[in-house]
Amino acid sequence: MNQWVIALPFITVALLISLGLYTILFKRNLIKMIMGLAIIQNGVNLFLVSLAYREGYAAPIWTSAPGEDMVLPTSHALTLTSIVIGLATTALMLSFVIMLKKHKGSVDSFKNRRCRE
Amino acid sequence: MNWEMSKIVRTVTDIMVVPIIVYGIYLIVHGHLTPGGGFQGGAVIASSTALLIIAYGSFRDHKADLSSIESIGLTLFIILALLGLFLGATMFHNYSAGTGGLFGGTVPQGINPGYINTGGTVPLMNIMVGLEVAAALSLILLMMGKASDSVEVEA
Amino acid sequence: MSMDLVSASPAFVLGIPLLFAFLTPLANRVSKDLRDAMFVIGLLLTALFVGIMAYEVYTSGSWIYVFGSEESRPTQTASYFRIMFAADGFSALASITMVITALGAGLYSFAYMEGNTGMEKFYTLFFLTLAGVMGMVLTADLFNLFVWFEVTSIASCGLVAFQNYKVKSVEAALKYMFISVLGGLFFLVSIGLLYGEYGVLNFFLLADALTGGMIDKVALSIIIVVFAMKASSVPMHMWAPDVYAESPGSVTPFIAITSLGSLFVLTRIIFTLFRYSFGVAAVGHLLIILGLLSMFVGISMALKQSDVKRLIAYLSVSQIGYMLMAIGVAFATLDSADYSSFGAMALEGGLFHMINDGVYKALLFLSAASVVYATGIGDLNKLGGLAHKMPYTTMFFLLGGLSIAGVPPLSGFSSKLLIYQSVYLYHPILAIIALVVSIITFALIGKIFYSAFLGPDQGLTRGEVPRSMLVAMGILTVVVILFSLFPNYVVAEIVVPAVEGLGVVA
Repeated sequence: MNQWVIALPFITVALLISLGLYTILFKRNLIKMIMGLAIIQNGVNLFLVSLAYREGYAAPIWTSAPGEDMVLPTSHALTLTSIVIGLATTALMLSFVIMLKKHKGSVDSFKNRRCRE
Repeated sequence: MNWEMSKIVRTVTDIMVVPIIVYGIYLIVHGHLTPGGGFQGGAVIASSTALLIIAYGSFRDHKADLSSIESIGLTLFIILALLGLFLGATMFHNYSAGTGGLFGGTVPQGINPGYINTGGTVPLMNIMVGLEVAAALSLILLMMGKASDSVEVEA
Repeated sequence: MSMDLVSASPAFVLGIPLLFAFLTPLANRVSKDLRDAMFVIGLLLTALFVGIMAYEVYTSGSWIYVFGSEESRPTQTASYFRIMFAADGFSALASITMVITALGAGLYSFAYMEGNTGMEKFYTLFFLTLAGVMGMVLTADLFNLFVWFEVTSIASCGLVAFQNYKVKSVEAALKYMFISVLGGLFFLVSIGLLYGEYGVLNFFLLADALTGGMIDKVALSIIIVVFAMKASSVPMHMWAPDVYAESPGSVTPFIAITSLGSLFVLTRIIFTLFRYSFGVAAVGHLLIILGLLSMFVGISMALKQSDVKRLIAYLSVSQIGYMLMAIGVAFATLDSADYSSFGAMALEGGLFHMINDGVYKALLFLSAASVVYATGIGDLNKLGGLAHKMPYTTMFFLLGGLSIAGVPPLSGFSSKLLIYQSVYLYHPILAIIALVVSIITFALIGKIFYSAFLGPDQGLTRGEVPRSMLVAMGILTVVVILFSLFPNYVVAEIVVPAVEGLGVVA
């Protein structure tokens, strides 16, 4: 039982990443593709947070902590960094899509191909 | 196009904006004690901008001011980091921890209920990051709202 | 409590561009001249600290800079959790390449970007990209590497799409961003795998800890693919021609430098992490195959291009192949006696080619941008006779072109000769393919030169490009000529310390 509880986040991670890859590969709408990227991002973040779990250890916050055994917050720092970077990249990509939509009137990735081979 | 949501929404927005901003400031200032910090608090403050844009539909053009706040926050952050080189030994050296003064209190070893006047340069950096993030996210929201032609920007 | 400027120079190499990135928008509120002055001062200060760092490395050896440490020069394993920068010969070589190109592209931007609004944002993005690539090549920590990787991606995409009224630029930037973000996410997964397994992210500690198990292999393979992608190696090159061709002319060399930076990072990761974990032959062969593919596909695609910038973009993809092949040969022979007979020479050739490539490719891209700037045309079929009105640009193009083709006695030849000699001993066919690609490169440079610069004056341009652009190209030209005149000196003073910095002794 306990084994399953620990494995559950990792199964979710695999599902999220597959879902995101599916969205990127099979959707033509650029906004949906960016959403796929965001789903992968959340999967990766969940992966990093799940890695930090150690049984019997508390979250690394000294303020009114329940005990002195704490996990190392490196993965948490990685996750936070990844969230911040994810915000910047998603905002930037959505801005690019807004510009493309203004120029071309479409968010379809096939109709926006102007660069030659 | 210029649209406004109903008076109920606008009134609730007016009331809610204040606690949202206060909560954001709380997250920023307590960043060195509890989960939160500059980015999270700044994002919370920026969400009040989102609320205002949705409720009122039009907005004065604060782009130049917001972008200055952003640059000021980041410049002060880097200067605080570089000051570590001159006052301590390396970049990001926490030179004001435990020296008295603002945020300079000493922290007792072990678990404590959290003293806000501690942390040295860390809370200062959190405040700078909070300024930057709140301004930058508001700027992004304004720009995107302007680009999608649903928000009127008055010059 | 003392400040050691020399020891702290790696921090300044990052700190100065970051500080000036955020100061330029503030300076813009005062005056435009102050903003432009800030830009030049920031670039020169960065170059100064790169110089200090490099001089210290070459005179008294490499050191580790640890952020927040009280010691000025701690040992490699001093800290598990602190961010470390490796100031060694390899970082010095990489950052010298970056800073020379940044100076050239930066000075060139003044006149080229004139008339664009919001130039303070351009400068901010420029400095952020510079800080990003510097961080990538200096850092000795996987987590920190990820951060700089993303900073570089975001800022360079902003630069590509800076002229956002050009729909093609926006499309290229979106493509580049999409691929970079996807690559970054998988890089993060592999960081997570390594951290979950060993609990360390520092290169030196990780190198000691790696056992070569399945998880290590998966993680390190992902890292190789991601950085090969960012280095525009075939078959992950499809973003490169679009981005190089559609970005504003003055930033194209700078974008090319970010992919060169990824190649530097790839080299460092291979030599520090793979070296001690599992067999070297497979990774070496993989790199050789990637290199051959890049050379061959890059040059074949270049043959059919008629747009001058797109053609040079494909040439640049094929040049990446030479370096990948040289590094691959060096790495494949690392554990055998062959290393001392020719593997070390291949590594020297590869690293020397990297610094050469950074500089002459910048010169080539800038002279192509000058052609487009002066005439407004990029199509080789419509250009012609530019040598009459643009003698300096013609000269700069010829110098960069002959260098990329590896014509003696130019700098490209010196490094390619090292690669040919060593690669021939590994397998003759590699050297033959490399030579053939070089000959085709020469023919293509001849094609551009003939169709754009020679022939009767067609009155496409009124005259030479502005003086500041000529000065920027002139700086790069001087560097190319210096490298061509003193190749032995460059190899002995810059390349050999870089090889030592990778932890292998020649």
